[in-house]
Amino acid sequence: MLDQLLFIFENLPHLLIGFPGQRPGGLVMSIILTFVGLGLGFVFAVPLALGQLSSIPPIRWLCRIIVDIFRGLPLILLLVLVFQVIGSGRFGFVLEPRGAAIISLMLYSTAYQAEILRAGFTALPKQLDEIGRMFGASRWQRFWHIHLPTTFRTMRPALTGQTISLFKDTSVVIVVGMSELMMSARILLGNDISNAPYWVSVYLTVGVLYFLAAYALSKYAESAEHTNQVKGWY
Amino acid sequence: MDSWLTPETIALLRSGLWLTLLVTAITTVGSLLLGIAVGTSAMLGKRPVQKLSKSFIEIHRNIPALVVVIFWAFAVPNLFPQQLRQTLFFNNPFWDSISTSTGLALPYYFLAGTFGLILNTSGYLAEIFRAGVNTIPAEQFESARTLGANKRVLFTHIMLPMGFTAAFPAVSTRLIHNFKNCALLSLVAVPIFFHGIQTAISKTFRATEFLLLATVVYLILSALIATLLRYTETRLARSGAEHA
Repeated sequence: MLDQLLFIFENLPHLLIGFPGQRPGGLVMSIILTFVGLGLGFVFAVPLALGQLSSIPPIRWLCRIIVDIFRGLPLILLLVLVFQVIGSGRFGFVLEPRGAAIISLMLYSTAYQAEILRAGFTALPKQLDEIGRMFGASRWQRFWHIHLPTTFRTMRPALTGQTISLFKDTSVVIVVGMSELMMSARILLGNDISNAPYWVSVYLTVGVLYFLAAYALSKYAESAEHTNQVKGWY
Repeated sequence: MDSWLTPETIALLRSGLWLTLLVTAITTVGSLLLGIAVGTSAMLGKRPVQKLSKSFIEIHRNIPALVVVIFWAFAVPNLFPQQLRQTLFFNNPFWDSISTSTGLALPYYFLAGTFGLILNTSGYLAEIFRAGVNTIPAEQFESARTLGANKRVLFTHIMLPMGFTAAFPAVSTRLIHNFKNCALLSLVAVPIFFHGIQTAISKTFRATEFLLLATVVYLILSALIATLLRYTETRLARSGAEHA
Protein backbone atom coordinates (compact mmCIF):
# COMPACT_ATOMS: atom_id res chain seq x y z
CA MET A 1 0.00 0.00 0.00
CA LEU A 2 2.76 2.40 1.01
CA ASP A 3 4.85 1.61 -2.06
CA GLN A 4 1.77 2.27 -4.22
CA LEU A 5 1.37 5.72 -2.72
CA LEU A 6 5.07 6.39 -3.06
CA PHE A 7 5.07 5.34 -6.73
CA ILE A 8 2.13 7.65 -7.47
CA PHE A 9 3.64 10.48 -5.47
CA GLU A 10 6.98 10.20 -7.28
CA ASN A 11 5.36 10.10 -10.71
CA LEU A 12 2.56 12.61 -10.21
CA PRO A 13 4.58 15.43 -11.83
CA HIS A 14 4.93 13.26 -14.97
CA LEU A 15 1.18 12.79 -15.13
CA LEU A 16 0.53 16.46 -14.51
CA ILE A 17 3.05 18.20 -16.75
CA GLY A 18 4.73 15.38 -18.66
CA PHE A 19 8.16 13.80 -18.66
CA PRO A 20 11.32 15.92 -18.62
CA GLY A 21 12.33 16.79 -22.17
CA GLN A 22 8.81 16.50 -23.58
CA ARG A 23 7.03 19.12 -21.53
CA PRO A 24 4.35 20.30 -21.65
CA GLY A 25 2.68 16.90 -21.50
CA GLY A 26 0.33 15.09 -19.18
CA LEU A 27 -2.80 16.82 -17.90
CA VAL A 28 -1.50 20.25 -18.95
CA MET A 29 -1.22 19.04 -22.55
CA SER A 30 -4.76 17.61 -22.42
CA ILE A 31 -6.02 21.02 -21.32
CA ILE A 32 -3.99 22.85 -23.99
CA LEU A 33 -5.30 20.50 -26.68
CA THR A 34 -8.85 21.09 -25.51
CA PHE A 35 -8.69 24.86 -25.71
CA VAL A 36 -6.70 25.04 -28.94
CA GLY A 37 -9.06 22.54 -30.59
CA LEU A 38 -12.06 24.40 -29.27
CA GLY A 39 -10.82 27.86 -30.27
CA LEU A 40 -9.83 26.87 -33.79
CA GLY A 41 -13.05 24.89 -34.04
CA PHE A 42 -15.11 27.95 -33.14
CA VAL A 43 -13.57 29.96 -35.98
CA PHE A 44 -14.85 27.41 -38.50
CA ALA A 45 -18.06 26.64 -36.65
CA VAL A 46 -19.51 30.14 -37.15
CA PRO A 47 -19.42 30.06 -40.98
CA LEU A 48 -20.58 26.43 -40.97
CA ALA A 49 -23.56 27.30 -38.79
CA LEU A 50 -24.44 30.34 -40.92
CA GLY A 51 -23.95 28.33 -44.11
CA GLN A 52 -26.57 25.86 -42.95
CA LEU A 53 -29.02 28.73 -42.64
CA SER A 54 -28.05 30.20 -46.01
CA SER A 55 -30.72 30.92 -48.60
CA ILE A 56 -28.53 29.39 -51.31
CA PRO A 57 -29.24 25.64 -51.42
CA PRO A 58 -25.76 24.40 -52.52
CA ILE A 59 -24.07 26.26 -49.64
CA ARG A 60 -26.66 24.87 -47.24
CA TRP A 61 -26.11 21.32 -48.47
CA LEU A 62 -22.35 21.59 -48.42
CA CYS A 63 -22.25 22.88 -44.83
CA ARG A 64 -24.78 20.25 -43.73
CA ILE A 65 -22.67 17.49 -45.30
CA ILE A 66 -19.44 18.72 -43.69
CA VAL A 67 -21.07 18.85 -40.25
CA ASP A 68 -22.65 15.42 -40.66
CA ILE A 69 -19.38 13.86 -41.77
CA PHE A 70 -17.38 15.05 -38.79
CA ARG A 71 -20.18 14.22 -36.37
CA GLY A 72 -20.65 10.75 -37.82
CA LEU A 73 -17.04 9.60 -37.51
CA PRO A 74 -15.49 8.32 -34.29
CA LEU A 75 -12.70 10.65 -33.15
CA ILE A 76 -10.25 7.76 -33.15
CA LEU A 77 -10.86 7.21 -36.87
CA LEU A 78 -10.58 10.92 -37.61
CA LEU A 79 -7.23 11.07 -35.82
CA VAL A 80 -5.77 8.15 -37.74
CA LEU A 81 -7.21 9.52 -40.97
CA VAL A 82 -5.63 12.95 -40.50
CA PHE A 83 -2.34 11.51 -39.28
CA GLN A 84 -1.84 8.74 -41.84
CA VAL A 85 -3.59 10.10 -44.92
CA ILE A 86 -3.58 13.89 -44.88
CA GLY A 87 -0.33 14.19 -42.95
CA SER A 88 1.50 11.36 -44.70
CA GLY A 89 3.37 13.65 -47.08
CA ARG A 90 1.03 12.78 -49.94
CA PHE A 91 -0.16 16.37 -50.03
CA GLY A 92 3.29 17.85 -49.73
CA PHE A 93 3.51 18.14 -45.97
CA VAL A 94 4.07 15.79 -43.07
CA LEU A 95 2.11 16.16 -39.87
CA GLU A 96 3.70 15.27 -36.58
CA PRO A 97 1.38 13.72 -33.95
CA ARG A 98 0.84 17.08 -32.28
CA GLY A 99 -0.38 18.74 -35.49
CA ALA A 100 -2.55 15.78 -36.41
CA ALA A 101 -4.12 15.78 -32.95
CA ILE A 102 -4.91 19.49 -33.06
CA ILE A 103 -6.38 19.34 -36.58
CA SER A 104 -8.56 16.33 -35.72
CA LEU A 105 -9.83 17.82 -32.48
CA MET A 106 -10.53 21.04 -34.34
CA LEU A 107 -12.54 19.30 -37.07
CA TYR A 108 -14.41 17.21 -34.53
CA SER A 109 -15.35 20.14 -32.29
CA THR A 110 -16.14 22.39 -35.25
CA ALA A 111 -18.98 20.09 -36.25
CA TYR A 112 -20.46 19.94 -32.75
CA GLN A 113 -20.07 23.68 -32.19
CA ALA A 114 -21.64 24.45 -35.57
CA GLU A 115 -24.66 22.40 -34.53
CA ILE A 116 -24.93 24.31 -31.24
CA LEU A 117 -24.49 27.72 -32.91
CA ARG A 118 -27.02 26.88 -35.60
CA ALA A 119 -29.60 26.21 -32.90
CA GLY A 120 -28.64 29.51 -31.28
CA PHE A 121 -28.90 31.55 -34.48
CA THR A 122 -32.30 30.02 -35.23
CA ALA A 123 -33.56 30.79 -31.73
CA LEU A 124 -32.56 34.47 -31.89
CA PRO A 125 -35.63 36.65 -31.22
CA LYS A 126 -36.63 38.44 -34.40
CA GLN A 127 -37.23 41.69 -32.51
CA LEU A 128 -33.54 42.06 -31.72
CA ASP A 129 -32.74 42.08 -35.41
CA GLU A 130 -35.56 44.53 -36.08
CA ILE A 131 -34.23 46.91 -33.44
CA GLY A 132 -30.87 46.84 -35.22
CA ARG A 133 -32.59 47.62 -38.50
CA MET A 134 -34.44 50.50 -36.92
CA PHE A 135 -31.13 52.04 -35.94
CA GLY A 136 -29.99 51.67 -39.49
CA ALA A 137 -27.36 49.02 -38.77
CA SER A 138 -25.98 47.18 -41.78
CA ARG A 139 -26.20 43.43 -42.21
CA TRP A 140 -22.67 42.97 -40.93
CA GLN A 141 -23.14 45.32 -38.00
CA ARG A 142 -26.26 43.46 -36.97
CA PHE A 143 -24.48 40.13 -37.23
CA TRP A 144 -21.41 41.31 -35.37
CA HIS A 145 -23.13 43.27 -32.61
CA ILE A 146 -26.44 41.43 -32.20
CA HIS A 147 -26.55 37.92 -33.63
CA LEU A 148 -23.13 36.64 -32.61
CA PRO A 149 -22.96 37.95 -29.01
CA THR A 150 -26.56 37.00 -28.24
CA THR A 151 -26.15 33.51 -29.64
CA PHE A 152 -22.88 33.08 -27.80
CA ARG A 153 -24.54 34.05 -24.55
CA THR A 154 -27.63 31.89 -24.91
CA MET A 155 -25.64 28.91 -26.11
CA ARG A 156 -22.92 29.21 -23.49
CA PRO A 157 -24.15 26.26 -21.37
CA ALA A 158 -24.14 24.02 -24.43
CA LEU A 159 -20.71 25.28 -25.47
CA THR A 160 -19.27 24.56 -22.02
CA GLY A 161 -20.76 21.10 -22.18
CA GLN A 162 -18.98 20.70 -25.49
CA THR A 163 -15.73 21.92 -23.91
CA ILE A 164 -15.91 19.32 -21.15
CA SER A 165 -16.79 16.61 -23.62
CA LEU A 166 -13.86 17.58 -25.86
CA PHE A 167 -11.55 17.55 -22.85
CA LYS A 168 -12.49 13.95 -22.17
CA ASP A 169 -12.17 13.11 -25.86
CA THR A 170 -8.53 14.28 -25.87
CA SER A 171 -7.73 10.96 -24.17
CA VAL A 172 -8.17 9.30 -27.57
CA VAL A 173 -5.19 11.12 -29.14
CA ILE A 174 -3.10 8.34 -27.60
CA VAL A 175 -3.74 6.56 -30.91
CA VAL A 176 -1.35 8.89 -32.76
CA GLY A 177 1.18 8.76 -29.93
CA MET A 178 0.72 12.28 -28.69
CA SER A 179 1.98 12.71 -25.15
CA GLU A 180 -0.93 13.89 -23.00
CA LEU A 181 -2.35 12.44 -19.78
CA MET A 182 -3.28 8.98 -21.14
CA MET A 183 -0.01 8.61 -22.98
CA SER A 184 1.98 9.72 -19.93
CA ALA A 185 0.29 6.94 -17.95
CA ARG A 186 1.16 4.42 -20.64
CA ILE A 187 4.78 5.58 -20.86
CA LEU A 188 5.02 5.53 -17.09
CA LEU A 189 3.89 1.90 -16.88
CA GLY A 190 5.76 0.88 -20.03
CA ASN A 191 6.37 -2.75 -20.84
CA ASP A 192 8.12 -3.36 -17.55
CA ILE A 193 6.55 -6.42 -15.94
CA SER A 194 7.64 -5.20 -12.50
CA ASN A 195 5.28 -2.24 -12.92
CA ALA A 196 2.27 -4.57 -13.13
CA PRO A 197 1.19 -3.97 -9.50
CA TYR A 198 0.93 -0.23 -10.17
CA TRP A 199 -1.48 -0.38 -13.12
CA VAL A 200 -4.63 -0.06 -11.05
CA SER A 201 -3.35 2.80 -8.92
CA VAL A 202 -1.95 4.70 -11.92
CA TYR A 203 -5.21 4.47 -13.88
CA LEU A 204 -7.19 5.35 -10.76
CA THR A 205 -5.02 8.46 -10.46
CA VAL A 206 -5.55 9.26 -14.14
CA GLY A 207 -9.30 8.89 -13.60
CA VAL A 208 -9.18 11.18 -10.57
CA LEU A 209 -7.22 13.82 -12.52
CA TYR A 210 -9.70 13.78 -15.42
CA PHE A 211 -12.56 13.85 -12.94
CA LEU A 212 -11.20 16.81 -11.00
CA ALA A 213 -10.52 18.87 -14.11
CA ALA A 214 -13.87 18.10 -15.76
CA TYR A 215 -15.84 18.52 -12.56
CA ALA A 216 -14.14 21.82 -11.73
CA LEU A 217 -14.88 23.09 -15.23
CA SER A 218 -18.56 22.19 -14.99
CA LYS A 219 -18.91 23.75 -11.52
CA TYR A 220 -17.16 26.90 -12.72
CA ALA A 221 -19.48 27.05 -15.73
CA GLU A 222 -22.52 26.74 -13.47
CA SER A 223 -21.44 29.66 -11.32
CA ALA A 224 -20.47 31.74 -14.37
CA GLU A 225 -23.88 31.11 -15.90
CA HIS A 226 -25.52 32.36 -12.75
CA THR A 227 -23.54 35.59 -12.55
CA ASN A 228 -24.03 36.12 -16.27
CA GLN A 229 -27.78 35.88 -15.89
CA VAL A 230 -27.86 38.41 -13.09
CA LYS A 231 -25.67 40.82 -14.99
CA GLY A 232 -27.73 40.39 -18.13
CA TRP A 233 -31.01 41.18 -16.48
CA TYR A 234 -30.38 43.94 -14.00
CA MET B 1 -7.39 -2.75 -60.22
CA ASP B 2 -4.83 -3.49 -57.60
CA SER B 3 -5.84 -6.04 -55.02
CA TRP B 4 -5.55 -4.20 -51.75
CA LEU B 5 -8.69 -5.99 -50.63
CA THR B 6 -7.69 -9.63 -50.44
CA PRO B 7 -10.24 -12.28 -49.44
CA GLU B 8 -8.63 -12.60 -46.01
CA THR B 9 -8.85 -8.88 -45.27
CA ILE B 10 -12.46 -8.93 -46.40
CA ALA B 11 -13.14 -11.77 -43.95
CA LEU B 12 -11.30 -9.89 -41.21
CA LEU B 13 -13.26 -6.69 -41.80
CA ARG B 14 -16.57 -8.52 -42.12
CA SER B 15 -16.16 -10.26 -38.78
CA GLY B 16 -15.01 -6.96 -37.27
CA LEU B 17 -18.12 -5.27 -38.58
CA TRP B 18 -20.37 -7.90 -37.01
CA LEU B 19 -18.49 -7.55 -33.74
CA THR B 20 -18.93 -3.75 -33.83
CA LEU B 21 -22.67 -4.17 -34.32
CA LEU B 22 -22.79 -6.79 -31.57
CA VAL B 23 -20.92 -4.54 -29.12
CA THR B 24 -23.18 -1.62 -30.08
CA ALA B 25 -26.28 -3.73 -29.44
CA ILE B 26 -25.03 -5.11 -26.11
CA THR B 27 -23.86 -1.73 -24.81
CA THR B 28 -27.06 0.01 -25.97
CA VAL B 29 -29.35 -2.44 -24.18
CA GLY B 30 -27.05 -2.79 -21.17
CA SER B 31 -26.56 0.91 -20.61
CA LEU B 32 -30.25 1.69 -21.10
CA LEU B 33 -31.13 -0.84 -18.39
CA LEU B 34 -28.34 0.20 -16.04
CA GLY B 35 -28.84 3.90 -16.74
CA ILE B 36 -32.57 3.83 -16.00
CA ALA B 37 -31.94 1.70 -12.89
CA VAL B 38 -29.26 4.05 -11.55
CA GLY B 39 -31.24 7.17 -12.48
CA THR B 40 -34.34 5.81 -10.75
CA SER B 41 -32.48 4.82 -7.60
CA ALA B 42 -30.94 8.28 -7.52
CA MET B 43 -34.49 9.64 -7.32
CA LEU B 44 -36.47 7.02 -5.39
CA GLY B 45 -33.89 5.07 -3.39
CA LYS B 46 -33.09 5.35 0.29
CA ARG B 47 -30.65 8.07 1.29
CA PRO B 48 -27.41 6.01 1.04
CA VAL B 49 -28.57 4.42 -2.23
CA GLN B 50 -29.29 7.87 -3.64
CA LYS B 51 -25.84 9.10 -2.62
CA LEU B 52 -24.21 6.06 -4.18
CA SER B 53 -26.15 6.37 -7.45
CA LYS B 54 -25.36 10.07 -7.72
CA SER B 55 -21.66 9.46 -7.25
CA PHE B 56 -21.79 6.68 -9.87
CA ILE B 57 -23.35 9.18 -12.28
CA GLU B 58 -20.84 11.96 -11.55
CA ILE B 59 -17.84 9.63 -11.75
CA HIS B 60 -18.78 8.15 -15.09
CA ARG B 61 -19.83 11.47 -16.61
CA ASN B 62 -16.52 13.10 -15.77
CA ILE B 63 -14.06 10.36 -16.73
CA PRO B 64 -13.30 9.56 -20.39
CA ALA B 65 -14.69 6.27 -21.70
CA LEU B 66 -11.18 5.22 -22.69
CA VAL B 67 -9.90 5.44 -19.10
CA VAL B 68 -12.77 3.28 -17.88
CA VAL B 69 -12.25 0.74 -20.66
CA ILE B 70 -8.50 0.46 -20.12
CA PHE B 71 -8.98 0.29 -16.37
CA TRP B 72 -11.26 -2.76 -16.53
CA ALA B 73 -9.47 -4.48 -19.40
CA PHE B 74 -5.78 -3.89 -18.70
CA ALA B 75 -5.41 -2.62 -15.14
CA VAL B 76 -7.71 -4.92 -13.17
CA PRO B 77 -6.01 -8.22 -14.20
CA ASN B 78 -2.72 -6.72 -12.98
CA LEU B 79 -4.09 -6.73 -9.42
CA PHE B 80 -3.20 -10.41 -9.32
CA PRO B 81 0.22 -12.06 -9.40
CA GLN B 82 1.21 -13.26 -12.85
CA GLN B 83 0.44 -16.96 -12.43
CA LEU B 84 -2.97 -16.33 -10.93
CA ARG B 85 -3.71 -13.63 -13.51
CA GLN B 86 -3.15 -16.07 -16.37
CA THR B 87 -5.48 -18.69 -14.92
CA LEU B 88 -8.13 -16.19 -13.81
CA PHE B 89 -8.44 -14.03 -16.91
CA PHE B 90 -6.96 -15.85 -19.86
CA ASN B 91 -6.29 -19.57 -19.63
CA ASN B 92 -9.04 -21.54 -18.03
CA PRO B 93 -11.80 -23.82 -19.31
CA PHE B 94 -14.41 -21.06 -19.00
CA TRP B 95 -12.60 -18.57 -21.25
CA ASP B 96 -11.47 -21.39 -23.56
CA SER B 97 -15.05 -22.47 -24.13
CA ILE B 98 -16.10 -18.90 -24.91
CA SER B 99 -13.08 -18.56 -27.13
CA THR B 100 -13.87 -21.65 -29.18
CA SER B 101 -17.57 -20.87 -29.50
CA THR B 102 -17.15 -17.21 -30.51
CA GLY B 103 -13.77 -17.18 -32.20
CA LEU B 104 -12.50 -14.39 -29.96
CA ALA B 105 -8.85 -14.87 -29.04
CA LEU B 106 -9.07 -12.97 -25.74
CA PRO B 107 -12.69 -12.97 -24.53
CA TYR B 108 -11.79 -11.24 -21.25
CA TYR B 109 -10.82 -8.04 -23.07
CA PHE B 110 -14.08 -8.14 -25.00
CA LEU B 111 -16.14 -8.52 -21.82
CA ALA B 112 -14.17 -5.94 -19.84
CA GLY B 113 -14.24 -3.41 -22.67
CA THR B 114 -17.96 -3.85 -23.23
CA PHE B 115 -18.52 -3.54 -19.49
CA GLY B 116 -16.50 -0.32 -19.41
CA LEU B 117 -18.55 1.18 -22.26
CA ILE B 118 -21.79 0.21 -20.51
CA LEU B 119 -20.64 1.94 -17.31
CA ASN B 120 -19.68 5.08 -19.23
CA THR B 121 -22.87 5.37 -21.27
CA SER B 122 -25.17 4.47 -18.40
CA GLY B 123 -23.75 7.33 -16.33
CA TYR B 124 -24.90 9.76 -19.01
CA LEU B 125 -28.21 7.99 -19.60
CA ALA B 126 -29.03 8.01 -15.88
CA GLU B 127 -28.58 11.78 -15.78
CA ILE B 128 -30.60 12.24 -18.98
CA PHE B 129 -33.38 10.05 -17.63
CA ARG B 130 -33.43 12.08 -14.41
CA ALA B 131 -33.74 15.28 -16.42
CA GLY B 132 -36.57 13.71 -18.44
CA VAL B 133 -38.45 12.75 -15.28
CA ASN B 134 -38.00 16.29 -13.98
CA THR B 135 -40.00 17.63 -16.92
CA ILE B 136 -43.06 15.62 -15.87
CA PRO B 137 -45.67 18.01 -14.39
CA ALA B 138 -45.93 17.72 -10.59
CA GLU B 139 -49.70 17.12 -10.83
CA GLN B 140 -49.01 13.71 -12.31
CA PHE B 141 -47.14 12.64 -9.19
CA GLU B 142 -49.64 14.32 -6.89
CA SER B 143 -52.62 12.62 -8.47
CA ALA B 144 -50.82 9.27 -8.37
CA ARG B 145 -50.11 9.80 -4.69
CA THR B 146 -53.73 10.75 -4.06
CA LEU B 147 -54.77 7.47 -5.63
CA GLY B 148 -52.40 5.69 -3.25
CA ALA B 149 -49.80 4.59 -5.78
CA ASN B 150 -46.61 3.12 -4.35
CA LYS B 151 -43.10 3.72 -5.71
CA ARG B 152 -43.34 0.77 -8.08
CA VAL B 153 -46.51 2.02 -9.75
CA LEU B 154 -45.05 5.52 -9.81
CA PHE B 155 -42.08 4.16 -11.71
CA THR B 156 -43.86 1.88 -14.18
CA HIS B 157 -46.83 4.15 -14.93
CA ILE B 158 -45.42 7.67 -14.77
CA MET B 159 -41.66 7.99 -14.56
CA LEU B 160 -40.72 5.36 -17.10
CA PRO B 161 -43.21 6.07 -19.92
CA MET B 162 -43.32 9.88 -19.62
CA GLY B 163 -39.76 10.51 -18.48
CA PHE B 164 -38.22 8.27 -21.10
CA THR B 165 -40.26 9.81 -23.91
CA ALA B 166 -39.31 13.31 -22.79
CA ALA B 167 -35.65 12.33 -22.54
CA PHE B 168 -35.49 10.40 -25.80
CA PRO B 169 -33.89 13.08 -28.06
CA ALA B 170 -30.98 13.37 -25.61
CA VAL B 171 -30.88 9.59 -25.19
CA SER B 172 -30.48 9.10 -28.92
CA THR B 173 -27.62 11.62 -29.10
CA ARG B 174 -25.85 9.66 -26.36
CA LEU B 175 -26.52 6.33 -28.08
CA ILE B 176 -24.88 7.61 -31.27
CA HIS B 177 -21.89 8.63 -29.14
CA ASN B 178 -21.92 5.16 -27.66
CA PHE B 179 -21.83 3.62 -31.13
CA LYS B 180 -18.79 5.73 -31.99
CA ASN B 181 -17.14 4.87 -28.67
CA CYS B 182 -17.24 1.19 -29.61
CA ALA B 183 -14.23 1.88 -31.86
CA LEU B 184 -12.23 2.52 -28.67
CA LEU B 185 -12.25 -1.22 -27.99
CA SER B 186 -9.64 -1.52 -30.73
CA LEU B 187 -7.19 -0.09 -28.16
CA VAL B 188 -7.76 -3.04 -25.83
CA ALA B 189 -7.13 -5.70 -28.46
CA VAL B 190 -10.76 -6.47 -29.32
CA PRO B 191 -10.88 -7.44 -33.02
CA ILE B 192 -13.57 -4.87 -33.78
CA PHE B 193 -14.01 -3.27 -37.25
CA PHE B 194 -11.58 -0.44 -36.58
CA HIS B 195 -9.04 -2.90 -35.21
CA GLY B 196 -9.41 -4.90 -38.42
CA ILE B 197 -8.74 -1.73 -40.43
CA GLN B 198 -5.57 -1.06 -38.45
CA THR B 199 -4.41 -4.66 -38.82
CA ALA B 200 -5.01 -4.48 -42.57
CA ILE B 201 -3.02 -1.24 -42.78
CA SER B 202 -0.08 -2.66 -40.89
CA LYS B 203 -0.06 -5.67 -43.22
CA THR B 204 -0.48 -3.90 -46.56
CA PHE B 205 0.65 -0.28 -45.88
CA ARG B 206 -2.43 0.89 -47.82
CA ALA B 207 -3.50 3.44 -45.22
CA THR B 208 -5.47 5.71 -47.58
CA GLU B 209 -7.63 2.98 -49.09
CA PHE B 210 -8.51 1.31 -45.80
CA LEU B 211 -9.13 4.52 -43.88
CA LEU B 212 -11.40 5.88 -46.61
CA LEU B 213 -13.24 2.57 -46.58
CA ALA B 214 -13.62 2.86 -42.80
CA THR B 215 -14.90 6.43 -43.21
CA VAL B 216 -17.57 5.37 -45.68
CA VAL B 217 -18.65 2.42 -43.55
CA TYR B 218 -18.88 4.57 -40.43
CA LEU B 219 -20.85 7.31 -42.18
CA ILE B 220 -23.35 4.76 -43.48
CA LEU B 221 -23.71 3.10 -40.08
CA SER B 222 -24.07 6.44 -38.26
CA ALA B 223 -26.76 7.53 -40.70
CA LEU B 224 -28.59 4.20 -40.32
CA ILE B 225 -28.51 4.35 -36.53
CA ALA B 226 -29.62 7.99 -36.53
CA THR B 227 -32.55 7.11 -38.79
CA LEU B 228 -33.51 4.19 -36.58
CA LEU B 229 -33.44 6.40 -33.49
CA ARG B 230 -35.48 9.13 -35.18
CA TYR B 231 -38.07 6.54 -36.18
CA THR B 232 -38.22 5.29 -32.58
CA GLU B 233 -38.60 8.87 -31.39
CA THR B 234 -41.65 9.56 -33.57
CA ARG B 235 -43.18 6.23 -32.56
CA LEU B 236 -42.65 7.02 -28.87
CA ALA B 237 -44.08 10.52 -29.25
CA ARG B 238 -47.12 9.15 -31.07
CA SER B 239 -47.82 6.45 -28.48
CA GLY B 240 -47.36 9.09 -25.75
CA ALA B 241 -49.91 11.33 -27.45
CA GLU B 242 -52.39 8.45 -27.62
CA HIS B 243 -52.09 7.84 -23.89
CA ALA B 244 -52.51 11.45 -22.95
